[in-house]
Amino acid sequence: MIRLHHVYKRFAQGDEAIEALSDVSLEIAQGECVVLRGASGSGKSTLLSLIAGLAQPSSGEIRVLDREISKLPEHLSALFRRAHIGFIFQKFHLIPGLNVEENVIAPLIPANLPLHVLQEKARAKMEALCIASKAKRDVRRLSGGEQQRVAIARALINDPVLILADEPTANLDAKLSTELIEHLYMLKQSGVTLLIATHDPLFFDLAFVDRIIELKNGRIV
Amino acid sequence: MSLTPEIIALLLLDAVFLFFGGIAFVLSARIAWRWRSHETTELQYALHRQSYLVSVIINYIFMLKIPLFAFFIYTCDKLSSIITGAMCASGVVNSVDFGLYLTLFKIVNLYVFGFWLLLNDADMNEEKLPFTRLKFVLFMLFFIPLFAEIGLEIGFFTSLNVSKIVSCCGTLFSAASTSSISLLFSVDEKIWMMIFYGCFALSVAAYGSRSPLASVVSNLLLALFALIALILFFSPYVYELPTHHCPFCLLQKEYFYVGYLLYALLFAGTFYAAAGGVLDLVQKRYTKRFYNLSLFFNTLYVIGISLYPLSYYLRNGVWL
Amino acid sequence: MLANVNVLLLDYALGSLKRQGGKSVFILIVLSLLIFLLASVLMIADAIKLELNTTLKTLPQITLQRFVAGKQTNVSLSRVDTILAFNGVERVMPRVWGYYYFKPAGVNFSIVGVDAYEEPYKKRLSELTRTFDLLTLEKEGGMIVGEGVKNVLQENYYSDFFNFITPKGERYPLKIAGVFHSDIALESNDLMLVPKQAAYAIFGMSPEEATDIVVHVNNPVEIPTIVQKITERYPDLRAITQDDLRISYQNIFDYKSGFFLSLFIVCVFAFFIVIYDKASALSSEERREIGILKALGWRMSDIVHVKFYESFVMAFSAFITGFCAALFFVYVLQAPLLRSVFIGYSELKPPFRLPFSVDVKMIVLLFFLSVPVYIAATLIPAWKAACLDADEVMR
Repeated sequence: MIRLHHVYKRFAQGDEAIEALSDVSLEIAQGECVVLRGASGSGKSTLLSLIAGLAQPSSGEIRVLDREISKLPEHLSALFRRAHIGFIFQKFHLIPGLNVEENVIAPLIPANLPLHVLQEKARAKMEALCIASKAKRDVRRLSGGEQQRVAIARALINDPVLILADEPTANLDAKLSTELIEHLYMLKQSGVTLLIATHDPLFFDLAFVDRIIELKNGRIV
Repeated sequence: MSLTPEIIALLLLDAVFLFFGGIAFVLSARIAWRWRSHETTELQYALHRQSYLVSVIINYIFMLKIPLFAFFIYTCDKLSSIITGAMCASGVVNSVDFGLYLTLFKIVNLYVFGFWLLLNDADMNEEKLPFTRLKFVLFMLFFIPLFAEIGLEIGFFTSLNVSKIVSCCGTLFSAASTSSISLLFSVDEKIWMMIFYGCFALSVAAYGSRSPLASVVSNLLLALFALIALILFFSPYVYELPTHHCPFCLLQKEYFYVGYLLYALLFAGTFYAAAGGVLDLVQKRYTKRFYNLSLFFNTLYVIGISLYPLSYYLRNGVWL
Repeated sequence: MLANVNVLLLDYALGSLKRQGGKSVFILIVLSLLIFLLASVLMIADAIKLELNTTLKTLPQITLQRFVAGKQTNVSLSRVDTILAFNGVERVMPRVWGYYYFKPAGVNFSIVGVDAYEEPYKKRLSELTRTFDLLTLEKEGGMIVGEGVKNVLQENYYSDFFNFITPKGERYPLKIAGVFHSDIALESNDLMLVPKQAAYAIFGMSPEEATDIVVHVNNPVEIPTIVQKITERYPDLRAITQDDLRISYQNIFDYKSGFFLSLFIVCVFAFFIVIYDKASALSSEERREIGILKALGWRMSDIVHVKFYESFVMAFSAFITGFCAALFFVYVLQAPLLRSVFIGYSELKPPFRLPFSVDVKMIVLLFFLSVPVYIAATLIPAWKAACLDADEVMR
């Protein structure tokens, strides 16, 4: 599913070169649920960006679904994300001013599909997450829990095989965090591969987490 | 020099094209020089983004060039009412020595940039971006005719002399003309007509044979001979005047602007086969869509242009 | 390619324009104003051209003027018969006319000498004179004036007669026998029709001469040949044909609107920079939005498409707004302020309505002058926006 082979990522900061990731190799199997653990700045987010093809490694190789995503040109990696990857961001990152339905279908707007197809897809996801009744409401007028469910529905709109979550519980209270974990558990049940970057201890002793990988200063410990 | 609003509009857009074309040229040179398709450095990343900018610019230029070409001819048509002796755009175009070359460059550029966009599309659909360097080297080459066209156009409008007396299309497109066109008149127009239909038959045969090369050749020939046959054989039927051979008057109101439609069909038909065929040759494959489109438009053109002599014959019982 | 329209993407672009609110409105207003100004100028120029062309048709086919030392002077009447003898010439008429400067009001009157026994050289003039009895005009020393003239004279307390001052310094009074109203008033508002002998006296001309000679021919195709014959016989005569006038008028108006356009282009350039600046300055909201969309699987080209739709919608609606506003301004309000630029500032040049003339060609021209330029200004900013790093939203 995911294979990283001696991946390095360096950033230039002023004159200094900062090594965000150094010599990371790992493999994640289909259907696995993996938690990436580490303090902020340890390279978790960078690693997620690289796996999603949002950035390219300085050296090394990254294969996702047997495609070498690290060598794909930008527009093709975008298509790859659109087809196979779902994203759950820290703070949800919904688009303000759009309603729930529009937010949910946003990833597929450029796909040039007929509107009714997208609406049906969105309806199915929204019903599963119990937000169908709020479909036409501006996301700014939703409660935190509802926003979270919109973000999950959006991540699922393209029926992804891989879901990347970046600090999903960072800004949530205990109740919402538990709810989120329940959603993740359902996803895991349906066979989706999950990769969760977090430093929230809540994740460290969950039954459905197969593996915890700890990053420290860009290295796997 | 006469600054009519139309000319100013054309010059203004020329300036815009020159500006963006210049940016695209500089970027192309950089990309052609430094592009390494197997490397994944920051530089290659940035170059890839710049290459996208170039394609946006060329898309923009091309999308405007098509309607602007019609607008250019239209402007010349309008100027013909000011310039003594000119009856339609051809007189105006020929009032300046290089007017004909300007028109030719405009046509060539449409084909060339259309081809570039097809190549760009093909390149972007491949994971390895196999044609990136090729397409930017090509763009640098194609920039020359673009530059020439813009230069000629500026020169054309600045040296247009309103008080100079020019010939009208009646003399330009006749056996009496001193230009190379008169040479064509020494051959019986029926022969040109037959060559034209022959070329069309050839392009249909090429379609059947599924050979890109045959399609390219036959369609380029078709484009050329369609134009000659139009001037020598078909135009008198459109105007219903045996001596009227002008390819520009077709674009006038009296003939319901039919020229714009006919030329668009001919361009679309020959373009898809010629440019698509070259692309297929480069990629060593066969894209059926191009040839279907080409056959469709070519056939429409042939039907359209053939209707004129036929209907004339049916109404009058004689050929011209 | 840009050719395939993705309706949902277009819809997204519309929504995004709405969300930008103030910025969109500002650009829309400025762009509409520019297009409005441009459209008005072109419409006025076209309308006046149309008006002049109708007027031109009524002008004499050939006008002969005598030039001495490069200055126009009077023509001897003896030439009239010689010219009449040329083949193809139908009628020859000597004209006496000129301008009279009226100091108190600071305006020029056009004085035209009319003769009861001569058919006037202009159709419209004959229409004017038909309603008045020229014979009594001659006998009683009267004149017929345009409405504009009448008003100026009245302001200066000449309500029933006017004292001309001849070059010798003598007074030459003429009664105001009538006032005419003309629908196409461009040329007749400042006109005074006076009996011919009065005109000779006012200008101090010899009765053996005329200001110029007007020639009518049977067949308009022969005009160039006849002009050639006349100018060969009298090399000091200059012939002006209707066609010459038409071309020179067209040139003048193309030149005037061209001049405006050149100014306009300076405005466009300034606007170009403003737009470039506005389009480049993305708020943090917009940057975040682009980042999210890219992470969700939007390509650079999708972002550029949205931006392209945004600018197209913007430019096109400004185009429609500006164009309609110009239609209203020019043809309903009759273009206050702007039209004076084209007609000149002379106070007597007159109230006339701009005839309606809008065709496809003008719409196309306006389109090319506005929409592509605006889109061009947003091309690079759109690309820059599409280049924003998506992984920023990950931090």
